[in-house]
Amino acid sequence: MRTGNSRDIAIIGYAETMVDLRTGRSSYDLAAEVLDDILTSTGLELKDIDGLAVGETMSETANPFWAVYVCEQLGLTPSWLQLNGLGGASTIGGVARAAAAIRDGLCQTVLVLAADAQSSNPPTEYGAHRPEFQYPTGLKGPVGAFGLLTRRYIHQYGNPDAALAKLAVTQRNHALLNPKGCPKLRKPLTERDYLESKVVSDPLRMLDSVMVCDGANGLLVTSTEHAVRLGAEIIAYPTGYGEITNFNGRDQLPDITETGFGVVGPKALNQAGLTPADIRMIQLYDDFLIALLLTLEQVGFCPRGKGGQFVLDTDLSYTGELPLNTSGGQISAGQPGLAGGGLNAVEAVRQLAGEAGDRQVEDPANALVTGIGAIPYGRNWAVSNALVLERA
Amino acid sequence: MTFDAEARRAPQPNNYTDTTTFWSAAQEGRFMVQYDRETGRPQWFPRSLSMSTGHRQLEWREVSGRGVLYSWTVTHSPWPGHEHRLPYVCALIDLEEGVRVLANLVNPDIASLTIGRPCQLVWEELGEGVRYPAFEVR
Repeated sequence: MRTGNSRDIAIIGYAETMVDLRTGRSSYDLAAEVLDDILTSTGLELKDIDGLAVGETMSETANPFWAVYVCEQLGLTPSWLQLNGLGGASTIGGVARAAAAIRDGLCQTVLVLAADAQSSNPPTEYGAHRPEFQYPTGLKGPVGAFGLLTRRYIHQYGNPDAALAKLAVTQRNHALLNPKGCPKLRKPLTERDYLESKVVSDPLRMLDSVMVCDGANGLLVTSTEHAVRLGAEIIAYPTGYGEITNFNGRDQLPDITETGFGVVGPKALNQAGLTPADIRMIQLYDDFLIALLLTLEQVGFCPRGKGGQFVLDTDLSYTGELPLNTSGGQISAGQPGLAGGGLNAVEAVRQLAGEAGDRQVEDPANALVTGIGAIPYGRNWAVSNALVLERA
Repeated sequence: MTFDAEARRAPQPNNYTDTTTFWSAAQEGRFMVQYDRETGRPQWFPRSLSMSTGHRQLEWREVSGRGVLYSWTVTHSPWPGHEHRLPYVCALIDLEEGVRVLANLVNPDIASLTIGRPCQLVWEELGEGVRYPAFEVR
């Protein structure tokens, strides 16, 4: 984003499908539902969209023409097309790239789209160093990596179980109020249920992590000036953004509890001219509950290692002082594959629009949204990004 | 050749860069790590260029195999193909030369594991007689 909070870029629409298990639908079909809904809710026409930023998927990545085929399938004729391979960071990364493209005159109105049918179509092979230096160890992918991270966190800062249990229940309570969340997860959860859930990669529990589903979501981004021409209602302004990939990547012995959020969180907030205390709600990327503690600490809501205490001391429910993941987050609404990064971003925009129904946050002035992408070798995660959205 | 379901699959070398040196030395029980010839800095896992300079001035050197436990996780839900090994321990070990390695701990006394415990390189045999690095807590 440009510094100085110029409010020259606007979000004018949002949509998402149900998040559900093994729908048997394709990513194209899920994406089509998002486009249909976004045109209906904004009153715009297909020809008004001249840019597309679409995320990579697990289900379609074997096809190198996925982004182009999306255009063909959806009837889009963009003058700017961007494929974002940032994993769960792709949606808010897409908003930032859309803003840059719009400012540079490459297009006027961008659909930032994410769709994935990961639970219906198994992911492709990642390759690189993994067949030689990871697979033979049997490390259970992200679950194993977060087991290692959690063990180290406990060693450095103490056991955060009480805070993780509170996070699990807070998000589940929000999911109960979200009709678009995965139906299988829409049942009450107690702290005891969390604490007694199966240990999958000790110290990591089953309920620390997401259930992989299918789903799609999207945001419509344009310039504030063009929104007026389109007669579109402006919902929110993206006013601050930070992104980093391969944080600490040259350090051979990094502290794995130190993440890119220590860089991108303050950067996004500074651009918006805000401090953590000014943030009304947090819609944070939640592939694992422990990531929420690390994010809170490193964005600057509390000191390093004090995330657990901060969670215990703060009302994070939608009626509370700092609402967190008010649609249930990926952990309780389901993770629609690599479209998971759009789930909390869409919820932030919905809240800023005042359209969150039973879980509406009062006075939704702004939201901090974060993304996390990809699991590297022996570290925490590969991409960290943060976006500040302010209500129009 | 008979298919042994209990054997872990041996990795094919040279998936993404030339790892022949590593795998040849592994067969002789030596753990080789890349070093930048100019800065003298080591890096793990093997790459096509030096992480410290961005240039391809790398050489392989044998490391001691001594390190300390940085973190570990006890796997109860396996990666596909590792079902027969449950439960098994995946760990990050900081070698004294200054690189961190992801590896299994062999015959661990799980209850007594603590971060910082000294570890020593050992070799496990995968399918087709290929040796693969692992560590033993000392």
